Amino acid sequence: MIAPAAFVASLAGFDRMTTNRLSGLLAHRSPEQAFAVAAGACPAPEPFATLFARERELAADWKRSAARRPPDEVWRQCLDAGVEVVVAGDPSYPVALLDDPRRPPALFVRGDLGVLDGRRVGIVGTRNATQRGRETAARFGYELAQEGVVVVSGLAKGIDGAAHRGALAVDEARPVAVVGTGPDRPYPAQHAQLWERVATRGAVVSEWPPGTAPDAFRFPLRNRILAALVEVLVVVESRERGGSLITAREAAERGVEVFAVPGALQSRAALGTNKLLCDGAAPATETADILMALGLDRRRAGRRRHDPRALPGADDRRLIDACRSEPRTLEALALHSGGSLVDTAMAVARLEHGGWLRETTGWFEAVDDWADLA
Amino acid sequence: MFASVPSAVLFCAEGHLIHVEVQVSAGLPGFSLVGLPDLSIRESRDRARAAVLSSGLPWPKHKITVNLAPSGDRKAGSGLDLAIAIGVLAASDVIPSGSIEATAFIGELGLDGSLRPVNGVAPMVGAVGERDVVVPIASAIEAHVVALGRVRVVANLAELVDVLCGEAPWPDHDTAERPETGRRPSPDLADVQGQPIARHALEISAAGGHHTLFVGPPGAGKTMLASRLPGLLPSLDRDRALEVTMVHSASGIPLPPGGLVREPPFRAPHHTTSQIALVGGGSQNIRPGEVSIAHGGVLFMDELAEFAPSVLDGLRQPLESRLVHVYRTGIRAVLPADFLLVAAMNPCPCGGGAPGACLCGDAVLHRYARRVSGPLLDRFDLRVPVHRPAVDDLLVNEPGEASAIVAVRVRDARRLATERQGCLNSALGVDRLDHVAGLDTGSTALLRHELEHDRLSGRGYHRIRRVARTIADLRGHVEPTVDECDVAMALRFRATFARSEPTGRAA
Repeated sequence: MIAPAAFVASLAGFDRMTTNRLSGLLAHRSPEQAFAVAAGACPAPEPFATLFARERELAADWKRSAARRPPDEVWRQCLDAGVEVVVAGDPSYPVALLDDPRRPPALFVRGDLGVLDGRRVGIVGTRNATQRGRETAARFGYELAQEGVVVVSGLAKGIDGAAHRGALAVDEARPVAVVGTGPDRPYPAQHAQLWERVATRGAVVSEWPPGTAPDAFRFPLRNRILAALVEVLVVVESRERGGSLITAREAAERGVEVFAVPGALQSRAALGTNKLLCDGAAPATETADILMALGLDRRRAGRRRHDPRALPGADDRRLIDACRSEPRTLEALALHSGGSLVDTAMAVARLEHGGWLRETTGWFEAVDDWADLA
Repeated sequence: MFASVPSAVLFCAEGHLIHVEVQVSAGLPGFSLVGLPDLSIRESRDRARAAVLSSGLPWPKHKITVNLAPSGDRKAGSGLDLAIAIGVLAASDVIPSGSIEATAFIGELGLDGSLRPVNGVAPMVGAVGERDVVVPIASAIEAHVVALGRVRVVANLAELVDVLCGEAPWPDHDTAERPETGRRPSPDLADVQGQPIARHALEISAAGGHHTLFVGPPGAGKTMLASRLPGLLPSLDRDRALEVTMVHSASGIPLPPGGLVREPPFRAPHHTTSQIALVGGGSQNIRPGEVSIAHGGVLFMDELAEFAPSVLDGLRQPLESRLVHVYRTGIRAVLPADFLLVAAMNPCPCGGGAPGACLCGDAVLHRYARRVSGPLLDRFDLRVPVHRPAVDDLLVNEPGEASAIVAVRVRDARRLATERQGCLNSALGVDRLDHVAGLDTGSTALLRHELEHDRLSGRGYHRIRRVARTIADLRGHVEPTVDECDVAMALRFRATFARSEPTGRAA
């Protein structure tokens, strides 16, 4: 006896399968019947007869896919990868997604979907983030997790990863990741460990069955699920046309409140977030802003972690502040402080030593106490 | 009916003494040439015969045998034309054999009997020793630079034969060595607005002989900076100038009016350059590559990451040994290659800029970073981040410090280093660093932190100390220790390519 979910798991991995097609197949039909229709084992009912007629290769592609993905084998694959298949209508299917206009017919989950019963905040942003952006994401992740909020993000490079790292630094945190590959396919590869930790502590959720490779088109689709799952969405840094702007739009369509972290006007990494602010997103400058939107008690918020760094002198603090607003070059810092190049070089060497500044190809950025998580 | 005429051929950048032996004997008229000549020497027969005939001289109607001794070595080039013609004329008693004793002949013949210059006259004249030497007019100056005997200059074969037959004195062509015209005008550092860090890096590079890599976005002035480095280097001493002149002469590069290359050369090969063109080689004629032509001066490689990786790997050995070894079947050549490498590249394919401004994808960045191998990056003591100059720097019309002023500091620093340790700081061995570049408490603390946080490798640690020593020399610091300010400055010259994620380890 093959579990009904096994047919869904197989169907979800068909070539050229879309959310709409899968929903259509599963509507008014048992998964087994849906599989038979897709595999061409029985005459196609409407609207699929029309669809097959319009897209010539589709029927053949699906027939091949069905042969390649026998449900029992796909099912075993899911079990081996520790992936649970949750079909819309199952009791564990997230309530937040049930009424979604483009709800995923099936979710592939590693970890426990029950954590989605908590308060949920999404933190997203660009993959190519600045040090500052990553630190902000880590700080929000940490402080929200401290308040018991479930941090939802995408496990991508940059902001996403930092938000997850920040949240995981809190012992009782249960973060959720919505990913654009199969839940067993860490992407990017260097996040494999982070991926494991999220799956163990919270949940890694995907619309795609195990083994699905990272294709560009899947990530914008993933963003809609992320947007639908959260109560509040925070965009930390975004380019002019970043994927996180798609998430923000999806969130706005669903009535999810969108926060954006204001950035310097010159910073390319803040173009998207600043545009969001112009379009009416709320500014997020500290965790308390977000907690307020959730209606949570904010008195405990902003409890800082212990900062072990030795406090710099007044002159050095001016240098740090200069690097806080935007990255600076050594020349610019010398000009700013009015000191000689050598004196400034000594000062920044001291500050790097003290952990206050960090250099990348000649640009200095201020490091705050979230750097180890960012 | 036999004559032996000394001449020389060019092999790589060296001259080799050749005896052109000619025998004219009874037999069917014919010409045979032995002694491993290449195609251009085989064609000498036709040039020599035409030149002799059009000079109004007889070509013997006998069997002519020409041997190029030593016969076992391969020979190439058209510089033997004159010696072959003279040999034939001497062996057929047109010119008295006594007149060519102790004289070498170098030059290519035209069909009208005119004498034409060839590449590499300087090393070839060096190879004939104390003999007098006859060279074409255009080669007179470089011949004078190296000749031990007298240099005789003639315009054509007829003129030479008249002299050798005692019918005319040696002609007096105007080949007097022109006076040195002082320093060649090279681009001046005063034109560079702003860029204090990069200027300082150039000064350190010149003073310590440190290979330098400029990393910065397009338009930051990397090329402009690099082209000003030769102007900071001291003129070449006579030995070095001779070596450079030999290589330039052999490569056919126009020599300065004085004949001797006294100014450090500046070579900027394009990034499509092949490995052979860069390090030297070739299958038949081994030619010096750009690294040898830049001997004693600066090799500037713009867009370093655009060079083929195999070409870049060819640089590693010359950088290490300051020589190029070329091996081919039956051929082994050594060329000098002691140059200062200056390279420029963008931090990433899109040009980058401040953190967060780069638009490149991960895979692209990864590929780009791999184009320049770690071992090659290791050779750059200075990796200088260059930024686009600020608007104020561009608009202000105040010239920067002139090259001449910086060159004085560079000269003094080089003298300090060579008097202390007999070499420039870039050549300091690890074992001597503690003796000449000891660390005070402050600098120890700085370096310890960098090492502990994996931001500095063992090699990088020694690099920083060498550079710090040069910085100390430049400010006239004679104690065998470097101060915290030297180390702090040296730490600024190691731009890394770790861009967005914190996992990137520094070098």
